[in-house]
Amino acid sequence: MDVPLYLRPRVEPPLASLLGAVPFLHSLVDALGSPLNVLLPEAVAENARRFRSVYRRHRLAGRVYFAHKANRSSALVRRLAAEDPAAVGVDVASLEELRHALSCGFTGDRIMATGPKDPEFLWLAARVGATVNLDSPGELERLAGLVRGYGLGRVDVLVRLSGFESAAGHGGAGTRLLSRRSRFGTPVRDAPALVSALERHADAVELTGAAYHLDTTGVEEKVRALEQCVLFMDECRARGFAPRAVDIGGGFGVGYVDDAGEWERWTTALSEAVLGGRPPLTWRGHGYGLRNEGGTVRGAAALYPGHRPTAGPGYLDELLSLPAPVLGRPPATLLLEHLHDLYVEPGRSLVDQCGLSLARVRDVRPAGEEPGRYLVRLGMNAGDVSLEEHGVLVDPVLLPRGGPEEEPGKGEEGPVGVFLVGNLCLEADLITRRLVFLPRLPRAGDLLAFANTAGYAMDFHAHHAQRQPVARTVAVEERGGSWRWCPDEDYWPITHPGGTPA
Amino acid sequence: MRYDSVTEAIGNTPLVRIDPAVHGLRTIDLYAKLEMLNPFGSVKDRPAWHMARPHLEGAAGGDGTVVELSSGNTAKALALLAGLHGLRFKSVTNRMRVPEIKELLLLLGAEIEELPGRSECLDPTDTDDPLTHFHRALSDPGSTYLHTDQYFNPRNVEAHAAGTGPEIVKDLDGRAPDWFVACVGTAGSSTGVARVLREHDPQVRVLGLVADKSDFIPGIRTIDEVHQVGLFDPATYDAIEPVTSGEAIDGMITLIRRCGLLSGPTGGAAYQGAVRHLRRIDSEVERSEGPGRRRTAVFIVCDRAESYLSYVRQRRPELLGRAARGQVAAALTDAEARAEARVIGVDDARRWTAQGDPRPLVVDLRSPHAYAALHIEGSVNIVDELFEELVRGGLPFDKRTPVLLACPVGEKSLRHAALLTRMGHPDVRSLAGGIVAWRDAGAPLVRA
Repeated sequence: MDVPLYLRPRVEPPLASLLGAVPFLHSLVDALGSPLNVLLPEAVAENARRFRSVYRRHRLAGRVYFAHKANRSSALVRRLAAEDPAAVGVDVASLEELRHALSCGFTGDRIMATGPKDPEFLWLAARVGATVNLDSPGELERLAGLVRGYGLGRVDVLVRLSGFESAAGHGGAGTRLLSRRSRFGTPVRDAPALVSALERHADAVELTGAAYHLDTTGVEEKVRALEQCVLFMDECRARGFAPRAVDIGGGFGVGYVDDAGEWERWTTALSEAVLGGRPPLTWRGHGYGLRNEGGTVRGAAALYPGHRPTAGPGYLDELLSLPAPVLGRPPATLLLEHLHDLYVEPGRSLVDQCGLSLARVRDVRPAGEEPGRYLVRLGMNAGDVSLEEHGVLVDPVLLPRGGPEEEPGKGEEGPVGVFLVGNLCLEADLITRRLVFLPRLPRAGDLLAFANTAGYAMDFHAHHAQRQPVARTVAVEERGGSWRWCPDEDYWPITHPGGTPA
Repeated sequence: MRYDSVTEAIGNTPLVRIDPAVHGLRTIDLYAKLEMLNPFGSVKDRPAWHMARPHLEGAAGGDGTVVELSSGNTAKALALLAGLHGLRFKSVTNRMRVPEIKELLLLLGAEIEELPGRSECLDPTDTDDPLTHFHRALSDPGSTYLHTDQYFNPRNVEAHAAGTGPEIVKDLDGRAPDWFVACVGTAGSSTGVARVLREHDPQVRVLGLVADKSDFIPGIRTIDEVHQVGLFDPATYDAIEPVTSGEAIDGMITLIRRCGLLSGPTGGAAYQGAVRHLRRIDSEVERSEGPGRRRTAVFIVCDRAESYLSYVRQRRPELLGRAARGQVAAALTDAEARAEARVIGVDDARRWTAQGDPRPLVVDLRSPHAYAALHIEGSVNIVDELFEELVRGGLPFDKRTPVLLACPVGEKSLRHAALLTRMGHPDVRSLAGGIVAWRDAGAPLVRA
């Protein structure tokens, strides 16, 4: 038997103690079915406070906007609505998200509307006084048309910029930092035309700042974009605008795997397996994008960097501290000196450690041709916990059913490699294509808990295919040593789950 | 020695014995092959010239561009070689991790293209890595790129099989060493040298050193990254061992301070990895054989120290520690700054600047760009870094001129006000809450 290649999850206090409440979690699934999503609303408030403390350290003003798309839950949004209005807002990317944010207690002035926008979305955003993060010059025209046509008040707008690598004159002669191209935002080279349009529509919109969102883990690219925004803001000021916020989007990341060594051993083993130097670590030798060409590994592993030494607030801190390429000073200093507020839109990192997804083990059987390997069929499918969809590799936590037949020392114990398969009648329905090692073979009736799924992995891809049940979601809270719960839709920040004890 | 071209000066580098008192090995003589003495400064001069030569001689004076995936010494050598032949050079790289090297490459006339970082919101179906796009651009019909392809080009290995390897054998009086130790980057030097040495003596042991997986040592790949190198063949090495950046710097310091060898961290890693590996063998040999035949080991000093000051500064700042000179605001504690500085609120400051007799000199400590965008009317801009330098030399203001210091939020100005007061200025005040408070109070700000 080879050494088990664990990728054990990073779990911090409230989530860790929830994972320890095994009978409680079993009783939830008994009552509400498998799969089940469990959220910790207090943890999201704590994360917002951690982001705010980075602001304070750098003496920066401005809001942390929760990127709603990371999770559909009401509990998380309502809990954030109860935070300081000057400190916490919400970023909505659809009409329904906007309606949801309003219904959860966010006032319009704390809402940022991003992404592509239909007229209804634009109208409601303008009507309630949300800030519109302009995706394109065309959207500005439509928005101005709505404001005039329907007698709306002047709307605050941010200009979302993109294409920073082609920004002329600022890269420094001879070097070009390439970035992945984005479909969203206005390329920096087209910004002058947009500024002229903003002047033309000054009666309908007010420019309050510049924004970007780059899909990269690379801090340098983001520092460059941030600096370009500061320079752009300056041009806007010179033309008579009074912008005051730079919105640097999200993408601060989450560390899913606890131990750097486990992550490194696994990724090294993946290369070796692709080269044929060891048995596959994955379902049918899947290489996650790596391939073997004549004994050399080619391609890039399409994997989320599972272990990240700095993520979330720490990443923001690093980003704010690196020197900027043109003006030389760190972004925090640039923002402060230019009197700009900082807006961030974290999604995944704001809901880090805020929840888990539970699945009942339905069936366990040997995996045919591979001796010592098992197929573990779960009461969920790949849509319910979309880790694979985002390249996130991390082990679930085994929560035994318990009971008389499960005395310690009984049966074959010890680590075992299993493939986690879903409840769909579909070859491809694997929760993960990775061979997952568990401390012992699960039995039907046990639970597997996928920790830290609140960001994009909980309900982002959930569907009704084959009429399989979609997970219910509950909010939980530990009070006086016991766990209480309520349905997500019944949670309010003032009524603690399970009711307020008399 | 007289040459027609600097390229003739490539190779024939010295082999220098390391004093046993330094490495402490009792049965093994350790030699350093000083590749840093090549004319462009590194071991890469050899493969760069050998790989580029056919391209350059064919295309000299044309409009071609030599292109290579390199962020270090290969790029440096190729940039110089391309310039020598009237061609351009472009370096494509994941990230320039050593800022001095980037600046040096720009000085040499290289163009640098940095590839994007990893996606944060991953699309697992998009398995195209940036390098695929790079190769697509190279094979574009009509492309004038001359790609040296150091990770796959057999001429990289040949350069060492024809040069480095035979030179070592010659300098050891026709014998191959018992051990050859090399850091694995492109695998060119280790593969080429190992081939020659084994032809002489199949008993030669080859130790390949890779960077510890979560670490970074310039010019060395990690155990995962070597698998992406076309020239890498595990069979070349009797052992592959990781080294950390800490060990690389330790080795570099030993070579510099005790051996007179101005080695960079790559050479340091080779030395440290060699000694660590050989020390185990040394004690066994001594125990089992007693003093018998002396054995020899050779490692490569890849390049020089000067380009890696920021690398050292990041990891071992104490090695570059400078004693503070003069007065520094940072030396004041928060309590001292609060106790000794005078502060003035926005309203009072507005009155003071408008009606004071004499009126204070307003010094804005923010950067010139921020100052140009918005500042207090009549203020002068001395950016904090410059201000600190000025103050080191003494009071930069007449004592009869009152001074109002302003920074973004009134923190830096507080320290500087305390320091100037300590230095004997009778009336320096810090703007409470800084320019931010000034703006928030609705006080006027103007543009340059």
